[in-house]
Amino acid sequence: MKLLSLELLKLKKKTRSWLGPILVFWLIMIAYPLTIEVSSESMEIGFFSVLWISILLSMMFATEDIFTEDYNDGSLEQTLINETSFAYQVGAKVLIHWLLIGIPISILSFIFSLGTTGDMVLSFLILPFAIMSSYIFLNLFVLGNALSLNKGSVLGAIITLPLTLPILIVLGKSITAIQLDINYLGFIFLLLGSLSIIIVSVPLIVSYIIRAHLE
Amino acid sequence: MIKKFIHQFASPKTYLFQVERAYKLILYFSIAVYIGSLIWGLLFTQEDFVQGNSYRIIYLHVPASFLSQSLYMSMAVASFVYLVWRVKLAAYLVISIAPIGAMTTFIALTSGSIWGIPTWGTWWQWDARITSTLILFIMYLGLISLHSSFSNYERADKLLSWLVIVGAINIPIIKKSVDWWSTLHQPASITLTNKPAIDPSMLYPLLGSIIGFFGIIISLVIISSKYQILLREKNKSWIKEYV
Repeated sequence: MKLLSLELLKLKKKTRSWLGPILVFWLIMIAYPLTIEVSSESMEIGFFSVLWISILLSMMFATEDIFTEDYNDGSLEQTLINETSFAYQVGAKVLIHWLLIGIPISILSFIFSLGTTGDMVLSFLILPFAIMSSYIFLNLFVLGNALSLNKGSVLGAIITLPLTLPILIVLGKSITAIQLDINYLGFIFLLLGSLSIIIVSVPLIVSYIIRAHLE
Repeated sequence: MIKKFIHQFASPKTYLFQVERAYKLILYFSIAVYIGSLIWGLLFTQEDFVQGNSYRIIYLHVPASFLSQSLYMSMAVASFVYLVWRVKLAAYLVISIAPIGAMTTFIALTSGSIWGIPTWGTWWQWDARITSTLILFIMYLGLISLHSSFSNYERADKLLSWLVIVGAINIPIIKKSVDWWSTLHQPASITLTNKPAIDPSMLYPLLGSIIGFFGIIISLVIISSKYQILLREKNKSWIKEYV
């Protein structure tokens, strides 16, 4: 708990780091209607694609400098020799990022979905998909940033984006299932299964990767 | 005894001297098998009832698709061996395979696109099999760029190995994509459990082309790994003996 509050304090102090991705998401969602003819029918056509890609991009920005500062000031090395497991600390870092960035973005997704489609049920169903996908994307980009530590976030994005594409495919298919009123629960369980594997494995892998960087 | 053999063969020096004798033989034999299978498949098999002559691209497309996934899996195995047992040769093999894997995936995608025009009426479709293969191609490029961005080889090897293992999740997705999603791409015609859904007159040259292509790619991997060993072990005294 102490670790979580410490991470929360660190992230809250860096306003740009948590507010920036939320604003990016907001701006993309506002920009979307400006690029097409404003009629509810045409708005709905590409809305969900834009929504998932906005979440993806926001999560990419959210993790841009997740380890950079700690790496540059040497505190990452100190964290490694700390008594608390490093994987646990990585997990806590990701969780705090998700709580401060992922959850607000998921709520905004619901609001934008309601505003665009006017369908309360559909918009409520979007919420679990947004919550889970944001956490999955966050974990994957943390992995990419750990791999490309001190080499810039572009490399991290290049190597991580292919891993996020299966999730985007599942998200796209789930929207089709919801709209056609066929079984969409399978997609929720699929994402939940992926998330549970990722939550456990990514912090462990990231801790090994960072060790490799600092050795 | 087996352990001793593995330890001996895992030494870059032993590997380099051993493969020197073998790879040319494999390469020449594989080229002959591949060309023979191509001639058999292109000139001596009948036209397909539905697809006409366009199906004959399978003698390139199928071996390339098969190898693109197999090479990635072999990279994942080598990465595991490197991370667990610190076998240097395994790390050399991982980075040696990556560009060849990218090349075979590119051939698979391109030949698939060419085949798509007469059969599907389009050269590209965002269906699960094709998209996941494109992801594999981007993965290969990402692996190469990750490795090349570090000047410290040991660090680059470790990071690359981790990424390869994580990225291996894409392989079952590619393999099963035709079963999990309704795709334009046909399901596998040759499986280990079922009778092949392809006529024997087309099947035998196809198997020959897969074996030939496999041998050519193995030879290319050996050549690429020889280069890696020479690059990394250049300061070792035995290199002079080899050169």
